[in-house]
Amino acid sequence: MGERDVIIGIALEEACLTLQQLAATGAVDVTWVQHRIEEGLLPTVAESEGEWRFSSATLTRVRRMSGIERDFDAAPELAALFADLLEELDEARRLLGRGSRR
Amino acid sequence: MEFKDYYKTLGVEHDAPAAAIKKAYRKLARKYHPDVSKEKDADARMKEVNEANAVLSDPEKRAAYDQAGRGYQPGQDFRPPPGWDAGREFSGREFSTGEAADFSDFFSQMFGSRGQGRGATHDFQAPGNDAHARVMLDIEDAYEGATRQVTLRVPSADGQGRTRLENRTLSVKIPAGVREGQMIRLAGQGGPGIGGGRSGDLLLEVHFNAHPRYRAEGRDVHVRLPVAPWEAALGAVIPVQIPGSTLRVRVPAGAQGGRQLRVKGKGLPAKEPGDLYLDIEVVLPPADTDEKKAFYETMSRELAFDPRAGGA
Repeated sequence: MGERDVIIGIALEEACLTLQQLAATGAVDVTWVQHRIEEGLLPTVAESEGEWRFSSATLTRVRRMSGIERDFDAAPELAALFADLLEELDEARRLLGRGSRR
Repeated sequence: MEFKDYYKTLGVEHDAPAAAIKKAYRKLARKYHPDVSKEKDADARMKEVNEANAVLSDPEKRAAYDQAGRGYQPGQDFRPPPGWDAGREFSGREFSTGEAADFSDFFSQMFGSRGQGRGATHDFQAPGNDAHARVMLDIEDAYEGATRQVTLRVPSADGQGRTRLENRTLSVKIPAGVREGQMIRLAGQGGPGIGGGRSGDLLLEVHFNAHPRYRAEGRDVHVRLPVAPWEAALGAVIPVQIPGSTLRVRVPAGAQGGRQLRVKGKGLPAKEPGDLYLDIEVVLPPADTDEKKAFYETMSRELAFDPRAGGA
């Protein structure tokens, strides 16, 4: 396929990522995700055919939490608290019409 | 290829101990954190800081960098000496495609992972990884669909089996009705498979550029609706431009600023389309001539209106 050929994008449902996709695109291990779900630090949005599904908002949360844990040796709970605050900030920025920075 | 002085980027001496590098990195990671930093170039600086830390925090990479970069100045044309990395296998933290794509060509040339493409010699197959990228759209694109160019930095192997990052541009047809945060799948456009396995998918995450008039909330769209005082007081039919069409909306008599009008089904298109919310803003004409001032004075006398009556 040439670079300029148009590729048709397919819009996915809100909760579309599998556990493996979430971990791979978030650059973390599957067990990293599982532990944080068990601790209630990451939400599972829905279940499809017995499998967890995740939204892009959860992917953003995974990246933020893993970055804070890695960069500052932060406990997962602290990283989750930081992610909570950033999500509040995103919402406030959105209401002000300034958009999210992520 | 420009030489990068990672020590200068982190603001540490060349003989800085690991603890000092970690401390400097954390200080800068806080300063340039893209979610909270008010620095203009925070994103770009954070990428530089991450790259410098990726090398200097890893003893093997740091030693290799020190050896190959001896005598070079920042910005100087850099060519690693032949065989500089013979016998070195970098075993530190792996970087995802997304992280590595943020790093410079300098990093990619020095530390790009080895063995890309070696899977062809293996007798097993595995699918490629799914890749992820963000695409910024205007809200108009979500109403009408759009074709957008998306440029990705993707790894590819050179003759020596070393990975280089290359720009790859895709033209992507974005379907109408996409929402903020929604994923768009481009089948087969992710990482290459191993041993003839299928390529992964590329998942594009949709975000909207800030817009002076529109704001999306899921499928619903909010629009500012400026009205003149007489339109708000007496009611009026007002044309409202939305992407692709113009609506005629009846503003009821006595409408107040801050009130919302809902137009069903005129938000983002979908099987169940969103609604359009019109946020009424009453705009006063300026009293910038004697004649206009006289109008306001007449209103003041005739209407005897106290907007603060009732404790407001």
